[in-house]
Amino acid sequence: MQPQCPTHEHVSRRALLKGTLAAGTGGALLNWGNLFNSQAHAATAAKKTKHCILLWMNGGASQFETFDMKVGADTGGPFREIKTNLPGIHICETMPKMAKMMDKITVIRSMHTSQIDHPGGIHLMHTAYSQAANIQFPEIGAVMAKYLGNDESPLPQFVKISSQGNTGSGFLGPKYQPFSLNHSGKLPPFSSNSVDAERDDRRHALRGFLEEKYAEKHKAVTSKMHRAANDSARKLLGQRKAFEIENEWPKYRDLYGDSLFGRRCLMARKLVQSGVAFVEVGQSGYDTHADNFQGHKGLLPPMDHAWAGLLTDLASQGLLENTLVVWMGEIGRTPRINNRAGRDHYVRAWSTALAGCGVKAGYVHGRTDERGLDVAEDEVTEGDFFATVYQALGINPGQENFAGVRPVPIAPFGSKAVKEILA
Amino acid sequence: MTCSVGRGFGFYAAWVAVVVLACATSLQAADTSLRDVIDKHVADQQAKQKVSPASPATDAQFMRRLYLDLVGTIPTHDDAKAFIDDKSTDKRAKLIDRLLDDPRYAQHQTDVWDMVWFGRNPPGYDADKRPGFHKWLAEQFNKNTPYDRIVSAMLKAEGNTAEHGAPYYLVQYRNKPQDAAQAVAQRFLGVQLQCARCHDHPYEPWKQVDFYGMAAFYTRLSTVEVGKMGQEKKVMIGEQSVGEINFTGPAAEDGPGKKGVPIKPKFLATKALDEPTPGKDVKPIKFASGKAPPKPAFSRKDALADWVTARDNPYFARAAANRIWAQFMGRGIVDPVDDMSKDNKPSHPELLDALTQQFVAHNFDMKWYVRELCNSKTYQAGIAGDAEHATPKWYERAKVKPLSAEQLSAAWRVAVSYHKVDSKLKERLDKGEWSYPLTSGYVLRFFGKPSNGEGHFQGGLHEHLFLNNGGLSKLFSRNKGGLYHTMLESKEPWEQKVDRLFLSILSRYPDDAERAHFVKYLSADERPDDRVREAMWALMTCSEFRFNH
Repeated sequence: MQPQCPTHEHVSRRALLKGTLAAGTGGALLNWGNLFNSQAHAATAAKKTKHCILLWMNGGASQFETFDMKVGADTGGPFREIKTNLPGIHICETMPKMAKMMDKITVIRSMHTSQIDHPGGIHLMHTAYSQAANIQFPEIGAVMAKYLGNDESPLPQFVKISSQGNTGSGFLGPKYQPFSLNHSGKLPPFSSNSVDAERDDRRHALRGFLEEKYAEKHKAVTSKMHRAANDSARKLLGQRKAFEIENEWPKYRDLYGDSLFGRRCLMARKLVQSGVAFVEVGQSGYDTHADNFQGHKGLLPPMDHAWAGLLTDLASQGLLENTLVVWMGEIGRTPRINNRAGRDHYVRAWSTALAGCGVKAGYVHGRTDERGLDVAEDEVTEGDFFATVYQALGINPGQENFAGVRPVPIAPFGSKAVKEILA
Repeated sequence: MTCSVGRGFGFYAAWVAVVVLACATSLQAADTSLRDVIDKHVADQQAKQKVSPASPATDAQFMRRLYLDLVGTIPTHDDAKAFIDDKSTDKRAKLIDRLLDDPRYAQHQTDVWDMVWFGRNPPGYDADKRPGFHKWLAEQFNKNTPYDRIVSAMLKAEGNTAEHGAPYYLVQYRNKPQDAAQAVAQRFLGVQLQCARCHDHPYEPWKQVDFYGMAAFYTRLSTVEVGKMGQEKKVMIGEQSVGEINFTGPAAEDGPGKKGVPIKPKFLATKALDEPTPGKDVKPIKFASGKAPPKPAFSRKDALADWVTARDNPYFARAAANRIWAQFMGRGIVDPVDDMSKDNKPSHPELLDALTQQFVAHNFDMKWYVRELCNSKTYQAGIAGDAEHATPKWYERAKVKPLSAEQLSAAWRVAVSYHKVDSKLKERLDKGEWSYPLTSGYVLRFFGKPSNGEGHFQGGLHEHLFLNNGGLSKLFSRNKGGLYHTMLESKEPWEQKVDRLFLSILSRYPDDAERAHFVKYLSADERPDDRVREAMWALMTCSEFRFNH
């Protein structure tokens, strides 16, 4: 937790920054500078080989059908609860594999967030901030790519597999833009060379000649960014193997379960192993305003299988202690079951989960009341949640970046990492 | 402002002329055109800040910049060559006039302003495709309808979306009066109210009730579908004669069952709306679909439109003058342009005052204003200098902005003379397929962001995968008349062909080193086909092409 800084510090930092601006660089450059000066960056932020995998439940999985069952209450729904390997803790029967992994994870049953619709919620739970017209906040993946990423790696440091999020790297700049794989974890279109290697080299050399000539006269940062992005794109083509799982899939199919989500999770593990800082894996379909129970019955078992497989695999490869696995969606679902057997959007009391690097194994944080209407104990806001996630990976949640001249901490000002969750 | 008359009889005639044209202008405006006022203020600030301006743009640099800014594409080979080789001294001013009258001016300005007012993903359901709006707006730019009247039509929203276009603006905020109020304040007044949506603004004078006071103007609106025109829905804005917005206090204290108190309309914390009280028996009515909704007894929406676009509105003209300035100069005098709060100070306050006064004095005449901007030395600055910011604060050199998805598509077509190789082009463009022959889904995905209409560059490696690995292949047609064909078939010596290549794609001649380098590259093989294609590709994907500078 950062001590609150007195106003005069803000003033002096602003004054300093304005001086920098007058010298002709610009707020953006302060964040993007490390595109061109990795040495300075290395000095300010020592590199750690830590990673994060986000399992994103798009639409908002129901807490009642996962980790916070209210069996017997009018809000409870038809599923049964099952015992887990954590004494006294029960979860939903739709997640039998995770029931045996509860000693590896932390469940938070006391989330209380502020954005109840999908676009707002997706923004909030990707950035820790509500949408603002004048600021493009960076997503968690971009922040992780910046603070955990490896500048020397030929791989993009923020990879999304069939997932959501609406701001990308925001004001952190193009270096941390997400690289997106398609729904089956395959490379996007235009990822293979259209000309042979020799011709490709010579045409890029010709283009490089033009770029050098241009750079002599044009000092604007934009064309440097353009060149750097082209270099990354070319390097990536040499790394196509990192994105192939076909040969390994038969071996891992039983562990992850034979589903698209399982394949995406194996891809995430493989990318983390190859040095990618952050991988987001999406599963869609949780927005069950109608037929909530049928919906969850279809969605959860393959997700449960893949998630448990991922944790097992990461642990057996020695990666779990350095990799934080986050499980969440943008919202929870209403206690009230509507007349279409659905549950609507709800953010006053819902659940998320964490596992691996920096967090407790076998812990349930917070409690909701007996009908699941409100948090009864240890409320966790979005800001506290993000602060906890960053802290668990050794990143100071008060760390600031600049949107123009405005300093913006990676977790909102005043957020606190939840001590009880941190290992 | 006041008009001083104490400057001697010699000014009298000019003074009368100005007063007759626009009574609110100053004497200074009569003897100094706005372009000179701009250059003086910018030069004064540069001297004060101790930055030295770049030497002026070359003819070729100016030409390419102007084409991209006014008509949204690059000049053809022949047009570029003719302009650069033209020896007359007034050719820049003439080109500005010519492009302002070009039909593509209306089309490109429509693209630019559509992004400002809708973005790539407008919020409502019936505004994601809006051909009726595009058609209407292009007509306004074509006729040079004054800016205040364009905005007034959008905010009064008369008629239906498909046939009249303007109602699309409010339709995108259907059933969301708060969103509409926030957008109107931000886009048209440069005032950011969103903090005040949930709590009193911490740094600005806006209270939460002020936000609700603005939203109250739109709380009686709903949308009514009245039919179809081809594939396009005809949607109208209906307005009730009664209905209030309720304020429940700070969002943090909100809870279920809290009803709140009704808030009356108030113009941005200035004055309350003076409106007739509806009779006790007036009830909300149901607007039947298929029928035009009746007019309300009193229209709050129209009252707000009149207040927003009034000549003496302290925000409206200033926000517009600043936004249009930023469109051409790269950065607002207040930047970002949507945030004209007291903490976000103008870099050239007196200049912004002058621009605002003159824009009003000229009755919000956009072509007049744009003509003045483009004729200034500030707009015509060169590109050299040490400033690394894409849009330097003191305008010491020209902006560097990425081409939009629309500009890139059009510029690539011009570069390869695509109109000569594909007879379907015109038909496809008329149908709204702006990226033809490229797939719009790809072009939008790789070049369509960010979508705030301000042209910040947010490139990533995806665009290079597209450019490097076949995304542009449809442009390399071997049909007669296309650049590829001409390069292969022409009997000109390689030196001339390289000139043709550069003029076609980069709108300039190569320098000696470039010419020699390209001649060597192109003439290295017996059959030049591959190498010509590669050279075209290199020129069409390099930074110099990617940016407007």
